[in-house]
Amino acid sequence: MKRPAQLLRTAVVGGVTLTLSLSLAACGNSGDSADGGSDKIHILVYGDAANKVEKQLVETFNKTSKVKAVLDTIPGADYQAKLQTIISGKQAPDVFFNWGGGSIKPYVDAGLLMPLDDFIAKDPGLESNFLPSVFNTAVVDGKPYGVPMRGTQPVLLFSNKKVLADAGVAAPRTWSELLTAVKTLKAKGVTPIALGGGDKWPTQMWFQYMYDRVAGPDLFQKAVGGDKSAWASPDSKKALGMLKELIDTGAFGSNYDSVKFTDGGSPALLATGKAAFELMGSWEYSTLQDAYPDFVKKDLGYGGFPTVEGGKGDPNNLAGNTNNYYSVLKNTEHPEAVAEFLKLMYSDEFVKAQLGIGNLPTTTNTPKFLNGSANPAYSTYQYELVKKAPAFQLSWDQAYPPAATTTIHQAVQQFFNGQMGADAFIAAMQTLPAA
Amino acid sequence: MTTATAPAVDSEKTRRRATRPGRAAGTGVSRPSFVWAAPAAVFFGLFAIVPLLLVVVLSFTSWNGLGSPEFAGLDNWSKLLDDPVMLKSLWLSLLLTVLGVVVQTPISILLGVWAAGHQRNRAVLSAIYFVPLLLSITAVSVLWRAVLDPNFGVPSQARWLFGDGNLFGVQAGAIGVLVFVSTWQFTPLHTLIYQGAARAIPQVLYQAAQIDGAGRFRQFFHITLPQLRNSIVTSMVLMVVGGLTTFDTVLILTQGGPGTDTTNSAYYMYQKAFKSFEFGTASAIALLLVLVASFVSLVMVRLTGYDKMRSTMEGV
Amino acid sequence: MRRRPNYLAGFGSLIWLFVVGLPLYVMLVATFQSRADYAANGPLGLPERFTLDNYVNDLSDGFGQYFLNTVIVTVCVVGIVLLLVPPLAYAIVRSDGKATGRIFRLFLLGLAIPSQAVIVPMFYLINEAGLYDNLIGVILPTAAFAMPVCTLILSGVMRDITSELYEAMTVDGASSWLIFRRLVMPLSKSGLSTVIVFSALQAWNGFLFPLVLTQSSQNKVITMGLYDFQTEHGVDMPGLLAAVVLSMLPILLVYLFARRALVQGLMGVGGK
Repeated sequence: MKRPAQLLRTAVVGGVTLTLSLSLAACGNSGDSADGGSDKIHILVYGDAANKVEKQLVETFNKTSKVKAVLDTIPGADYQAKLQTIISGKQAPDVFFNWGGGSIKPYVDAGLLMPLDDFIAKDPGLESNFLPSVFNTAVVDGKPYGVPMRGTQPVLLFSNKKVLADAGVAAPRTWSELLTAVKTLKAKGVTPIALGGGDKWPTQMWFQYMYDRVAGPDLFQKAVGGDKSAWASPDSKKALGMLKELIDTGAFGSNYDSVKFTDGGSPALLATGKAAFELMGSWEYSTLQDAYPDFVKKDLGYGGFPTVEGGKGDPNNLAGNTNNYYSVLKNTEHPEAVAEFLKLMYSDEFVKAQLGIGNLPTTTNTPKFLNGSANPAYSTYQYELVKKAPAFQLSWDQAYPPAATTTIHQAVQQFFNGQMGADAFIAAMQTLPAA
Repeated sequence: MTTATAPAVDSEKTRRRATRPGRAAGTGVSRPSFVWAAPAAVFFGLFAIVPLLLVVVLSFTSWNGLGSPEFAGLDNWSKLLDDPVMLKSLWLSLLLTVLGVVVQTPISILLGVWAAGHQRNRAVLSAIYFVPLLLSITAVSVLWRAVLDPNFGVPSQARWLFGDGNLFGVQAGAIGVLVFVSTWQFTPLHTLIYQGAARAIPQVLYQAAQIDGAGRFRQFFHITLPQLRNSIVTSMVLMVVGGLTTFDTVLILTQGGPGTDTTNSAYYMYQKAFKSFEFGTASAIALLLVLVASFVSLVMVRLTGYDKMRSTMEGV
Repeated sequence: MRRRPNYLAGFGSLIWLFVVGLPLYVMLVATFQSRADYAANGPLGLPERFTLDNYVNDLSDGFGQYFLNTVIVTVCVVGIVLLLVPPLAYAIVRSDGKATGRIFRLFLLGLAIPSQAVIVPMFYLINEAGLYDNLIGVILPTAAFAMPVCTLILSGVMRDITSELYEAMTVDGASSWLIFRRLVMPLSKSGLSTVIVFSALQAWNGFLFPLVLTQSSQNKVITMGLYDFQTEHGVDMPGLLAAVVLSMLPILLVYLFARRALVQGLMGVGGK
């Protein structure tokens, strides 16, 4: 009976000692960072594989700068939530990753962000070295608030060439060709279009392109600016009607809401020939390259979204993630160091490093290095696409403020599964807060 | 110790008889003062009760995380009462709880009683059964998503059972998945409770029954189940409270969908807080949830006499 | 009296083995395949080429640091719980005072507070205390939220110590402290091991507190490291699952060693 009691006492005493010493150590640590905070800038980014490049740039920066940069990452899904909770407090970073548009609008409204006019006045390259359609996504209320810092990701229509050939279908250039192709493929027992409906944002991509092709980019710009009548316009109803027609022909099969892109479900459908098309961001290429290298080499096709006959949108218009951006907090103690850091975003080193991991930067010097990219043909195709696109529609859930995301995602899902008709969908979109 | 735990009803009676004279004689028994409980109470108060009080305060404010909270009176509350999703979410919380209890209890009892046997193979299998409890929710999510994938997982191999496999696309399917996965993950915990309790049932009871010629089923229903009564209550309290506050599995498996069809109150609160940044509304939902859960657990605790834990020992 | 084997129960247990085992099988098989092979074979397919790369990559990818952090958090949480809960349970079972009864009811109510309900103010408090992005800031609330169940378990076990034993010690003139040390603690061994396993499990698999209360990679715990495998546009299944296997090994070992004591401890929760 005595030994366990002693053991226990040892454990308890040990625990206390450990706790105390850790608390002390922690106090020591926080003391350090408080002192050291004055000559550091904190860079907060979305945590994923692309952090490799961000780390490299921070190291490059720290080699020459007296003020040192510290890179903090927040794992993917909760980035936005975490950012919102810390951005107005003492844990706020100096520079942070965002999607431009609505994702920074609330912070601009709260007076937390620094307009980059002064930086640009001192170094015009901070604006002129980027493709305008991309740079403009982070312009809020007429002022620039972000510098592009990763790659552009337009949404493309991917296809399985072998499946199309077997069914005798050509890659569709118009909406009616797509509808015909869907019917032919269905008759062959193939799911015409793979859709990761479980993630919801892949479903949203169909709306983005339908609205653009039918109504042109202006309708959404009006809507996101707060003009609720835009959603109820005839063009809006027409876009929804055409989409509904596509859904009702069984283009997406019946179990798409149980399929996700993020766990590899929908790309697998495309690569294994169970589906013929998938509408997806340009990252689809590297996803497939990792998992199905043979398929990418032989049978992967890609192209823009079909033209809608009689629609107002230019067939060259794009939708997707224009880029990611670095924005700067007004409270930063080292604006000069931050400006120096941002200049790295159009450096040769940055472009090469991004191309090296499969991202496509949107700087004007990018074409020089396209041959060194992992897939020169694909990169060049995309770069030309983005360069000549008259309009590049930012994904809806990023164009609106973050608070709108849940409503948008629920609405697109419920429109697809029939729980919402066109009128209910319009009503739901009209409840969204303006950006 | 094993014998001391034994037949609940009997021993309680004997204890009462035994303790009474003891109490009379033992006026000098040293009893710990409440100081013994104070450190734990202070610690718990600081890190659980104080935040809860702040939730109460926040529920009367409007706050999006930027700047400071502004007093909003009863706005959040009146909005919630008019919110169809809120009502639906409460209903879903109850549904998930009831289904959880109904599905998990029989499985856990059967497994627990089975695992109480001392056979070697049962020990090995019990160790395997325990593993789901060790997996983090991220893992559980991606695993089951993969296993239940309609095109490449189990449903594609068993069309007769799953049809087109659209489990996550229809309400019944999504609720079914949630109940099933929670059962999968938390049955080990309840099984352990029943295993412990079943081992404490004295063998004499079974021996007597066997002499009377009672078969295995009669033994189970007439001896095992009644003897497990208290464990059933304990396990159910844990299931009910856990069920009402189910959050992780919803977050990772269905994200409340399709539409709002699996948005229970706990998830709705999270959505309001960390997706829509309506911290005031979220706090009101959180508070509502805590109130419902405490009410239910209080009722169950009262009904079962848990709060008189000390007195069962003392016979008061 | 030897009982005949129970075939029905055996059959049922095999069905359950299938239900439990299928995802575990999927997990193990996936970890020994490359990403491309896993994608080609599907979750249910048989692996063709065996590789340990996923494990090697995980271990070289900062998982060591996450492991260490998780161990620190777990040890501290268990330490705090072991320090605070036994005296509390002892007071609940033996004290006369009304205050103790109230405290116990407070803890029972605590069972009904989901941690996500208080996460917003918790963030606020921890931030104000200067403990944001600090393991201490994760340890304290995790320990607090493990306490109600631990209290329930331990007081259940302590209740089973008979009054005669207390009286016998009192006759010898023992103080409360001495009774606690010499009688209560040794006789609660099984309950204590349950409490250790339970609180260790809570700390080891803790998700929400580390998610909201830490940020930098030097303070990441394993569950956050697992989260990193899921990015905006996909998930590295074999890598993630290998990390999952690594992360559950230590606690599985603890379980195997403490299994007997654990079952005994839980007798106290159930049987009154």
